[in-house]
Amino acid sequence: MRMSYLVPTFCALLAAFVAVPAQAPAVTPEQCVGGKLDAPVRIEVFSDFQCPACRTFYLDVIQKVVETYCSRDKVCVIYHEFPLKNHNLARVAARYSKAAQRLGRKQWVTVMGALYTSQAEWTWDGSVEGVISRALSPQDLAELKKRLEDPSIDAAIDKEVALGEKREVQSTPTFFLSSRGKEERVVGGVPYPVLKGYIDRLID
Amino acid sequence: MILRILHWLSRCILAGIFLYTGYIKIRSPLQFAAVLSGYQLFPDSLILPMADYFPWIEIVLGVLLLIGWKIRYVAVAACALLASFLTVLTITYFRGIEANCGCFSFEDRISLLTIGRDTLILLPALFLALSRLRGSGPGPARPEIA
Repeated sequence: MRMSYLVPTFCALLAAFVAVPAQAPAVTPEQCVGGKLDAPVRIEVFSDFQCPACRTFYLDVIQKVVETYCSRDKVCVIYHEFPLKNHNLARVAARYSKAAQRLGRKQWVTVMGALYTSQAEWTWDGSVEGVISRALSPQDLAELKKRLEDPSIDAAIDKEVALGEKREVQSTPTFFLSSRGKEERVVGGVPYPVLKGYIDRLID
Repeated sequence: MILRILHWLSRCILAGIFLYTGYIKIRSPLQFAAVLSGYQLFPDSLILPMADYFPWIEIVLGVLLLIGWKIRYVAVAACALLASFLTVLTITYFRGIEANCGCFSFEDRISLLTIGRDTLILLPALFLALSRLRGSGPGPARPEIA
C-alpha cells in the first residue's frame, strides 16, 4: 500500500477512535434560550450570573448565535444554572432566572439579559430585584415574585448543578456543543467569529 | 551505551507527549480553538485552520519519533514546534493575559511553572537533534557512540 493511502486511512481511523458519542439529552424545551431541541447543533451552557466571563460569553457570543442561527432552527441553545459557591449573589440571581423561565422564554431571556448587562451594578449593591424590576412589566414582575416562593425553584437549580457536576463542570462558563452524534466539552468562552465558523462547518 | 539509552528514552518520551497532546486536541477541536484565541495573538480567521492542522502535526511527529524514521530531521522539526509554542506561551504570560496553556489539559493556566515544564520538554528534542548516533541522519559516516 502506498504512503498516499496510508496517511488518510490512519487519520480516519484515529478520528473515528477519538470521536466522543453524544450523551442522552436531559433537557426540556423550556430550557432553550433559542431554537428547537431537534436543531442540528445543540449548545448547552452551564453559567453563573455573577461570573464576568459568563457575562461576556452571553452578551457577545450567545446572543449573536441566537439571532443568527436559532431563528433559522439551526442551533438550539440551552442554559443551565450553575451558581458557583464563591459568588455570594449567584444563587439569588439564578433563582430569579429560574422563576422567569417558568413565565416563558420571552421573560426568561429578558431577565437573563438584564442580569448579565447590569452584572456590575447588582454585584456591587446586591439589588438583583431592582435590576429585574426595570426589565419586566409590573404584571410579569408580580407573577415572578409569586413563582419565587415555589420551593421547587431551588430543587430545579440543585438538579442543574448536579447535572453539571455529573458532566464534570468545574468552572463557568462551560458549554457542550453536540452535533452529528458527537459532543464536545468546552471550558471558557469562545469568540463569536470562531464559534460561527465552527457552527457553519457543522450545518453546511 | 548510556547515550544510546538516553536517545531511546528521549524518543519515547517525546513521542508519548506528542501523541497524547495531539490526541486531546483532535478530540476537542473547538476547545483547542478557544485556547488559541485566548492567546490573543492570532487573527480569528486563522484560529480554526490552526486548530485543525496543528494536532495532526503533533501526531505525525509522535509516530515518526516512535518508528525512528529520519530521526534528526524529525527532532529538528519537534524543536521548532516546541520552541514556537514556548515563545507563544512566554509572550502571552508576559503580556499579562490570563489564558489556558492547552498543553496537557485545557484547564491549565499559563504560569512560570507551565513555561518551565515546556522548556524541560524541549531538552530531549534538542538532545535528539544534536546527538549523532550512527544511522540517525543523512551524510557521510558519523562517529558511533560507544
